[in-house]
Amino acid sequence: MGWIGSIIPLDNLGHYLHWHFILISVSNLIVIGLMIVTFVAALLLPFPGRSRRKENQ
Amino acid sequence: MSKKAFRPDVDAPEWRGGYSPYDIIKEGTIAIVIVGLLTILLATFFGSPDERAITMKIWSNADPIDFAQTAISEMNGSSTTAGYGAPYNTASDGVQLGPLKIAKFMGVTIPINTVKDFIINPLKSWPNQPALNQDLATWSSASSSTQSGWVADYTKAAPNLKFVNGHIVAQTTNAGPVPALIDDLTQMAQSGALDQALVTGNGFYTTNYTKPLMFLADSGYLANLADKQHLTGSQWGMMNETGQYPGQAWLWLYTFWYQIPPFTTSSNADILVFAVMAVLSMALLFLPLIPGLRSIPRKSRVYRLIWREHYQG
Repeated sequence: MGWIGSIIPLDNLGHYLHWHFILISVSNLIVIGLMIVTFVAALLLPFPGRSRRKENQ
Repeated sequence: MSKKAFRPDVDAPEWRGGYSPYDIIKEGTIAIVIVGLLTILLATFFGSPDERAITMKIWSNADPIDFAQTAISEMNGSSTTAGYGAPYNTASDGVQLGPLKIAKFMGVTIPINTVKDFIINPLKSWPNQPALNQDLATWSSASSSTQSGWVADYTKAAPNLKFVNGHIVAQTTNAGPVPALIDDLTQMAQSGALDQALVTGNGFYTTNYTKPLMFLADSGYLANLADKQHLTGSQWGMMNETGQYPGQAWLWLYTFWYQIPPFTTSSNADILVFAVMAVLSMALLFLPLIPGLRSIPRKSRVYRLIWREHYQG
């Protein structure tokens, strides 16, 4: 199974963004971005079953 | 009897509308299955960080001079471990929070004498070394002031050590058996024997790696590797992972404090950050009881965005 993990190699040194005292890896930034997108989606996307409820009304 | 006034942050109005069935078990099961599948898929295709463990053998072969310089810092008491204080020794007061000397109060629970535990005792355990045994006997029979003089002499030469034909060479004038001891320890480490000698175990399994870890942590070698991988405290290291893997982004607030004064310059940063996070965690825990803060959800009206269908109706 070991070879499967090497399909997307991530072992080489990562890329980092540096601004004043803030130092963050690009991969962490992507994960944080995805978390924010998920949070906003949870706020804005309609609840499932909305049309069914409207039909019942 | 007067009716109590309605408190919008604390009291919930009685619901007079209709009710809809909701299957939380079904939703929980679906969430667990989806997250489980995602975990298996991501682990399969991305693998996981699996850096090779660093041993004394790897370190001493990769950078024998750094190894020897660290060894002499263990002998002269200038290493981090030697001067740490509790729980390892009494060299300093250790970690303290304001006037509270917490580490000192807890006492020395994991005693480490860096000279004996890192240098002399491992060398004593190396079998079939007659010349080494002679040097160890010379060391043991000398007075502590003589030993200190030898170590001080070697310390002066330490910045200019050389590694020639597999041996550590130091330009010393009166270091007694210390050059031979440091060279022998380097040889022992390069052979792999030091790794075993430093690991201690009370039972069948030898799982106590405290001593080799502390010795290694005193080195410049480990610090350089950590720096390259952005894992040190000043690099938001707590958030980072080796290679290009995403790290522990949720620890951003913990590691944030290490980047700003006074934490950047304090030798007690760990306990100070712990105290700040404890206060913030308590504030979060008791949020419903804190006037003003507990009104944020109601006043920000984010709930009206989530339940907009209800409020439109």
